[in-house]
Amino acid sequence: MTTKTSLLKVILLGDGGVGKSSIMNRYVTNKFDAHLFHTIGVEFLNKDLEVDGHQVTLQIWDTAGQERFRSLRTPFYRGSDCCLLTFSVDDNQSFLNLGNWKKEFIYYADVKEPEKFPFVVLGNKLDVTERQVSSEEAQQWCQENGDYPYYETSAKDATNVAVAFEEAVRRVLAMDERTDHLIPTDTVKLHRKPRSATTCCS
Amino acid sequence: MVHVYNCHPFASQQIVQVGQEPGLVCCGGGALFVVATGGCKVESYSLEREGCPLICRFATMGTVKSIQHSKIGDYLVTIEEKNSATYLRAYTNWRYQAEEKSRVGVRLLGHLLRGASVGGGVQMEIIEIPLSERPVAVACCPITGDLLVGCENTLVLFTLKTQNQQNLSQQNLQSSWSSTQQNSSQGQTSSQHLSILDFERCVIFHLPKMTPKQVALCGGYVAVQAELEVLVLKLETVSELKTLEESSDTNKSADCVDEQIDFLLIPRHQELLGDRAKDCDLPVSIEKTGLEDRRQYSLSYVLFRRFSPEFFQGCSVEETQLHSLQLYPLYTSNQSVSADDPACMFCFFSLPTAGYLYSLKGGVEPLSTYQYPEKVLEAVLTDHLLHVITKSALQCFTVRCAAVAARIEDPYIDTTMRACPPGNLEVCALRMQLFIGLRSVCVYGRHVILLSTADTEVPDEPERSTQRRGLGRKWTMSSAKETSPAGHGWNIYVVDTVSPFTLYQEMDEYSQRYVETNPQAQSHRHLLSEAHLLLRASLVQMSRQQQDRGGEAAAPPQRDADGPPDNDCSAETTRQELDEAFRHNCALLGDSFSRGSQKDCHLALPYYRMSGLSITEIMSRNRPHPSSPHSFGPGFLFYLKHFLLEETDQTLSQEAADEIVHIFSQSEPSMLVSVCASPAMSHVSPDRTLQILQRLEDTASVSVPMTIAMATMVLRLDDLPQYTQLMERHAEMMLVYGFIEEPRLLLHGGGGGHNTHVRPTALSRQLASSQPGLLVAAMVALHENNKVQLEQADHLFKELSCANSLQVDFWEAMLMASSQDAVIQELLFRLSSVYIDRLTNSDTHSSLTQTTPRRRSLKSADDLISSCSHYGALYPWLTLLSAAHTTSPQHQEALHKLQSLLCGPSLSVGSVVPLLERLSEETMWGFSLHLLCTTRRGQYGSSIEKLLDRCPQAIIAFANHQLQDEHMPLWWQKLLPELCKRTRASPDNSILLAALKETLVVVAMEMSPAEFLELIPDDGAASYFLPHLMTCTQRHLLAN
Repeated sequence: MTTKTSLLKVILLGDGGVGKSSIMNRYVTNKFDAHLFHTIGVEFLNKDLEVDGHQVTLQIWDTAGQERFRSLRTPFYRGSDCCLLTFSVDDNQSFLNLGNWKKEFIYYADVKEPEKFPFVVLGNKLDVTERQVSSEEAQQWCQENGDYPYYETSAKDATNVAVAFEEAVRRVLAMDERTDHLIPTDTVKLHRKPRSATTCCS
Repeated sequence: MVHVYNCHPFASQQIVQVGQEPGLVCCGGGALFVVATGGCKVESYSLEREGCPLICRFATMGTVKSIQHSKIGDYLVTIEEKNSATYLRAYTNWRYQAEEKSRVGVRLLGHLLRGASVGGGVQMEIIEIPLSERPVAVACCPITGDLLVGCENTLVLFTLKTQNQQNLSQQNLQSSWSSTQQNSSQGQTSSQHLSILDFERCVIFHLPKMTPKQVALCGGYVAVQAELEVLVLKLETVSELKTLEESSDTNKSADCVDEQIDFLLIPRHQELLGDRAKDCDLPVSIEKTGLEDRRQYSLSYVLFRRFSPEFFQGCSVEETQLHSLQLYPLYTSNQSVSADDPACMFCFFSLPTAGYLYSLKGGVEPLSTYQYPEKVLEAVLTDHLLHVITKSALQCFTVRCAAVAARIEDPYIDTTMRACPPGNLEVCALRMQLFIGLRSVCVYGRHVILLSTADTEVPDEPERSTQRRGLGRKWTMSSAKETSPAGHGWNIYVVDTVSPFTLYQEMDEYSQRYVETNPQAQSHRHLLSEAHLLLRASLVQMSRQQQDRGGEAAAPPQRDADGPPDNDCSAETTRQELDEAFRHNCALLGDSFSRGSQKDCHLALPYYRMSGLSITEIMSRNRPHPSSPHSFGPGFLFYLKHFLLEETDQTLSQEAADEIVHIFSQSEPSMLVSVCASPAMSHVSPDRTLQILQRLEDTASVSVPMTIAMATMVLRLDDLPQYTQLMERHAEMMLVYGFIEEPRLLLHGGGGGHNTHVRPTALSRQLASSQPGLLVAAMVALHENNKVQLEQADHLFKELSCANSLQVDFWEAMLMASSQDAVIQELLFRLSSVYIDRLTNSDTHSSLTQTTPRRRSLKSADDLISSCSHYGALYPWLTLLSAAHTTSPQHQEALHKLQSLLCGPSLSVGSVVPLLERLSEETMWGFSLHLLCTTRRGQYGSSIEKLLDRCPQAIIAFANHQLQDEHMPLWWQKLLPELCKRTRASPDNSILLAALKETLVVVAMEMSPAEFLELIPDDGAASYFLPHLMTCTQRHLLAN
């Protein structure tokens, strides 16, 4: 008997140039290209992984951060299972914009219960020496906005990237009412793991 | 009735090594696409390479519910579900997903960024196609790549847009080009013409009363299938807008029907073809949605079929549902590759118990009904076979598409020239192949792809084990690499069908065995017809392949995607072999029809013609066994008759000709005269034939053509006395009738109309010397009965080398007989020129050329004048002109005939004037002709002058005859002054004076005294005119 696979749609949002494409590439192909083109519209990659004994196909959606590509990306928010709000720790404006991204997502994805939707916040470019956003500021924003897990990542050094995606999967699977993602419905109760979000970058 | 033949349509089988349990399968573009059960992943395998290796693997965005491949554009379209929402998506550039970790672009329909190119080069892209209704079914047009989506009560048509990537990304030309090359070097040749695809929503069909389950689209034809209804429409672009109003009308009428719908519990069975389909109570309206699309569309109904649930026995009402809707285009062999419009279009759909095939072009007609032996799950139509699957078997039926295509391609089919089995020929089922738990079937070229899953929920173990045994026993040709059978309960099989030519060969062998046991059986002929259609399918297939190969360099390789991998067909079978087989098959069909019953026996002729066999070969094939009482079949006699009646250049040997005479004397003696008169029979032995004819005459009554035929034979035996005796048995008129009955006794050739040359027979030559009058009369009769054209008759007389005599006699006789004005004018002109020739010749070389004395004409001038209306009586004054001149009798006759024609009512004088210019006026007869001409043309004034100059003694005769009625005034206006003038010059000329006197008598009778006085010349002697004035006055007084 083959294992049933569930398909999870995870979408990366954030300002242009914060490193969304690089995070995705690092996670899926384990490569880093410093001179990546701007993403136009929307692209995705699939990654199969096993989380807590579950075969999961993670469909990672990379979006164009620039404002001019807005109309190309927003139609594809619908159906997302998780949203990774991304900023760059060396760019304060990208951090300040997180709220706008969240709003845009909730509006276009047509999320029924926004307060329950699993967001994960990523502060990328940890490798850069001149930070503009402190870890505390970021964590505070997460706390205030809905207790979102926060990871500081570096696509360049591969720091925390896999951990962040795995957490995203756990977040999705942990939601009791989302079991209908499993095809067919041979659901298995998951052990709730203690959140490790805050511990990883202390 | 379905014939079942034990032929093997399948060549080999392999199993595709798929990792996960397949849920959906589709194929196209040389690839097989497998969607894992419940999964969101598509694996594509190459069908064109041994072992079907994996091409690539890519993820979908949701759970695939339905998948289709379009050969144009090489894209996949899916209906997917995610989080209970349904999506429609198109996957393009999927071949670039060889490396699974490549990024996949996603964009919305119509959101193609111009100028902005993806940095990473060619990339797989997904086009999300938003719809306001939930999509139920999709179909791609194999001709245009357009996409048709069936939703709950609408159909949405999207046109495929392609934009060349090079044009799109000018600034990135360098990088994108290099990456294209890079990618294509990975094994994708089709990427040479890489273009970016997009769709445009173009037309929405509203079908408020139909719930589509399946749709099909092909070249403007739109087919939609509900549970028990099929509707085929045709969408055409038009210049005028008219149809939309019509359709809104039908919409209104539909509303009132809506109310009754609750009471219509069971719909009745219905079949509406062509225009009649619009009476189907299913309103359809179209809504144009294309933004830049300025075209107007018109919609017409093509076909409607409705089944009532209880119509089929053996299936529960729930099971009775239509499936396998298909529109199938077929190009004929003479269609160019660039032709977008296929010559034939077929529509197929199926119930569990029966399949239905319709031809849509050139009049909608049902072609075949396929009665299945058991419940069929799915069916796929191809060029020459229909593949169906039941739960446990794959079965093939033959199809009649080739018969339809052949008729569209060749208008001479169904004539005496060429034949083809009818499109409604009963279909046959071929050997079936057993499988376990078949679920779905799809076809790519010669590959039939089957998905089987052993259903664990249904406990039918005993049945299954017997099936497995059956499979092992029958499946001897299998080249399958057995995968572990216990490992999983599912498999994907690729079963290769044999080429139509191979199948033909098997049928041919089969028919040979069949014919030994029962040659007359209807089934034998059916088998040969079946084989014939397979060959036609092969020929069409082959010429298209040759065209594709030829056109590949110029045209982008788009069309080849569908009919691809029959390369081995052309490798193993050459065109020559196919043609050879075709002729062989036609010969066998010819045999079958030649020996069969009266019904359809005429088909022996076209089939024998197509076989290329000579008549002697065909005769030897039809020679009965010496022992058997079996005689010659009606089809064979029909063939022989046609061969002998038609004009062929082929002259049979004496043996063959004698055999034919024998055959007809045995089977159809009444045909013997016609048979003997055939030019092909000119070598027949005369004495044997004469004996047979004599025997026949003894038993039957004497007939004129028979006598003439016998005379012909006697002539060949050089027995002139007997010939004369035979010819004298009938009056000439009867003989003429005989020739009308059988013109070929006189002439051969000419059957093909105007331009074909005729040749005289030996009999004609004999008649020309012994009975020229009979020959001329016969030729006239043939012409008047439309058996011979004027030119052909001329040619015949030329051939008889008596152009100057008998031909002229023929024309003269024709003038007497013919009533066609055009022919009469032509003959009048020809005869005039002949007469003029004769006059000039005898005149210039008077005694020199008389060495060959000419035969007297059949008709003298007097004969013609008295019997032919076109020859007029000679004017009285002419005798005064010609009396003095003495010439030869021939000359005299020619002159009289010409004068008579000029005096007649029919000859148009203007046309002969140029000819007359050759004649000098010096001689009196020449003068007479010119004078006749000027007179006939109404130039009386100059005629009077000329006549007074040359022959004044004829002037009064001329004036009396010509100057009448409206020309009366010429007496005093022209003649009187002229005579006065001339007498003044030569007062002693008694002829002139006599003429003057006569003229005055006439003038005095016609004029009033005052007018008469005016006319009297001033210098005239009063005493001379006084008596005439007196007469005039007295007559005038009396009149008052």
